[in-house]
Amino acid sequence: MSALATWDILETSVIGYGKGLNQDSVRTGGTGAATDPVVLAVADGHGSASYPRSDIGARFAAELFAAKGREFGALVRTGRLPWLRDYARYELPEQLVRDWQARVWAHWGRQPGPEGADAPREEVLRLYGSTLVGAVLAPGLFVAWQLGDGDLTVVDPDGRVRLPLAPERAELGDETASLCLPEAWHLVRVHWEPLPEPARAPRLVALSTDGLSKSFASDAGFTEFTSGLYARLASRGLPGIEDDVPRWLEAASRHSGDDTTLALALRAEDGGAGRDGGVAGADPREAWARAPEPARPWGPGAETEAEADPTSDLSDPPSSLSNPGPNLSDPLSERSDPTGGTRNDDEETERP
Amino acid sequence: MSGMLDNGDTLTTGTGETLVVDRLLGQGGQGEVYRVTLPDGSAKALKWYYPESATPQQRRVVEDLVERDFDDERFLWPTAFVDAAPDRFGYLMDVRPDRFRGLPELFRRTVTTSFRELLTACLYTVEAYQALHSRGIAYRDISWGNIFFDPTTGDVLVCDNDNAVVEGDRSGISGTMGFMAPELVRGDPGAMPGTQSDLHSLSVLLFMFLVNHHPFKGARELAIRCLDEHAERRLYGKDPLFIFDPDDPDNRPDPVEHTTARVLWPLVPPSLQKLFTQNFTVGLREPSARVRESQWRDALRAARDAIVECPNCGRPNMTEPGAATPGTCWKDGAPLVLPPRLVVTTPPPRSERHIMLGRAARIHRHHLTAEPTRHDYSDGSLVAELVEHPQKPGRYGLANRSAEAWTGTRSDGTSQRIVPGQTVPLRAGLALELADGARAEVRAR
Repeated sequence: MSALATWDILETSVIGYGKGLNQDSVRTGGTGAATDPVVLAVADGHGSASYPRSDIGARFAAELFAAKGREFGALVRTGRLPWLRDYARYELPEQLVRDWQARVWAHWGRQPGPEGADAPREEVLRLYGSTLVGAVLAPGLFVAWQLGDGDLTVVDPDGRVRLPLAPERAELGDETASLCLPEAWHLVRVHWEPLPEPARAPRLVALSTDGLSKSFASDAGFTEFTSGLYARLASRGLPGIEDDVPRWLEAASRHSGDDTTLALALRAEDGGAGRDGGVAGADPREAWARAPEPARPWGPGAETEAEADPTSDLSDPPSSLSNPGPNLSDPLSERSDPTGGTRNDDEETERP
Repeated sequence: MSGMLDNGDTLTTGTGETLVVDRLLGQGGQGEVYRVTLPDGSAKALKWYYPESATPQQRRVVEDLVERDFDDERFLWPTAFVDAAPDRFGYLMDVRPDRFRGLPELFRRTVTTSFRELLTACLYTVEAYQALHSRGIAYRDISWGNIFFDPTTGDVLVCDNDNAVVEGDRSGISGTMGFMAPELVRGDPGAMPGTQSDLHSLSVLLFMFLVNHHPFKGARELAIRCLDEHAERRLYGKDPLFIFDPDDPDNRPDPVEHTTARVLWPLVPPSLQKLFTQNFTVGLREPSARVRESQWRDALRAARDAIVECPNCGRPNMTEPGAATPGTCWKDGAPLVLPPRLVVTTPPPRSERHIMLGRAARIHRHHLTAEPTRHDYSDGSLVAELVEHPQKPGRYGLANRSAEAWTGTRSDGTSQRIVPGQTVPLRAGLALELADGARAEVRAR
């Protein structure tokens, strides 16, 4: 594969406004070299009383992806793209989900809750429910995976912002796919992007939990934020914004009421970060100010509301998660049954 | 975008046509696919190879495929070579219509379909590859990534045909590991991709259509910590074991992890189970023992004709052709009831088709032929269908949708003529003289 520039990485996570526990998790590492691929992972535990262990589930998710992502990055070699693609699309998601569920089950075995160590496995998995967005940047290859909500945002060399893993259809309320669902690997969305020409590789790859995107009134606001973030990174480099990012995320969490986590990798090739100079450095926070209206009102009223119900977490999947997936005794049943699913990217359907 | 081409780039086909790149449609293992516009305004898809795949060998294969001008709507075949430099080339093909969906969508249950359409898709898939093989072409990379199907009709579309070569061509062995014949995965001396290895890949694909799971992914796979290339070679090449091998339970599907396979396999009619078992046991070791396309075709069409709707929920159920007891509905567990059947006897060489006369029963032209070149379940090939009497609910008849009149003979010996558009009441013992010497008889069971 062609040589690829190194990447600078950053991770930040802030607790949701008024919450007592951050149920997001983040892991980052690597430089993008062949021996040290960049691995980014953010996970969002579902929160609320129905998922009391989702902070642990999110941590397991991010940790497992970091390990699997490194393994995957180490497999990248010239001439292996077809095999790697199949591995990325089919094998890794299955391994990831399976390992997460096995780890959760083992954790429950060691530390069972009031339901007891012999509680039904599906119910136990649900207690730890979490989403996951992960990415690997290796020389010549960029791959990302997503299960459930959250965002993968990419900025290209021409400054264009794209969201390669955005679901084709708008999400149904706050329902989301989850690692806790049976055969959840089928629900993993995969972005596959070989990079045969390093100069055309993305400049910025950002992963965030939905606490960030939900803080904007529109998708355009979120895209504008990313664009501004990139401009600022391009002019100041990572060190120039490291102190600012937590404050931006705190502002976001006040809008969304949710834990907010960001992991990003900035390509440091050809002068890269902090050396472009002169790029109009719009403060990303201006995007919030320009947004027509915040997703949730903020100010005294909203704060009171949040305080009154600190568990009111918009990222909570709906109560329908009590039946989190297909009825396993009925494998042909629809997986997007609005009363039983947690889908966010698929059509409602049923086989007649 | 980080693709190799920019929107607005222009390229020239081998026949001198200029095309304009519209946008990147997707990125694969060998190259990228763009939507492009031709001078006449029509849209096509352009596959553009990554440098590592743009080899002289690949160039030769694609140029050969374009020259073959294989005109078959079941394939997105390379139609024109597009050349920019020795290591920068690609080819044009038609754009895949939206109605065709991938198997991953089936596994996610994000498409609406039924066993009837799935069996149709399997049958069409078999016939598509048979059409290639009959022309001396081996596909070499049959996998679930290359086949798309219409969940409402079962129509199939085979994509990524740029690895197909003339049988015996030694152009680089390729394929998706989980679909490759074991002898190719192992790299046995003398093993070459060809029709025999395609038959293995085809069986894996059919299994995934019907069981939604890989036939070798059972307990053994779960024991692998990292399913890397080495582990895959063991799983698919050195030591493959069918998850439902009747003599070796070592690789059974896991009760927790492989629930779909465990539930769907028993729904597959025994006649099809037998073919899968043959292919994934003795066929693994003896390529010559693999199930041929004609065997698949016969078993699949018989299974499709034997589908029975649940009397309670109406959902189609697969039943074993010729079985006296149809079992229970997969959806609600209600006992299934065998409807009357139409036994069609084709003109010589005589063969019988047993078609369950359920509510959706339809008889097509291929039912009247012993060796149809293709099966076609579309409206255009309809010969007869079961209809309910418009004024007398509950009474059914067989409507003549063909262009020829039938002669019907009742069990009491009286006869009648049924012209196109007319319906003959359904009665046990009714015999029909259909077109071109085909006969049919209604049997109560």
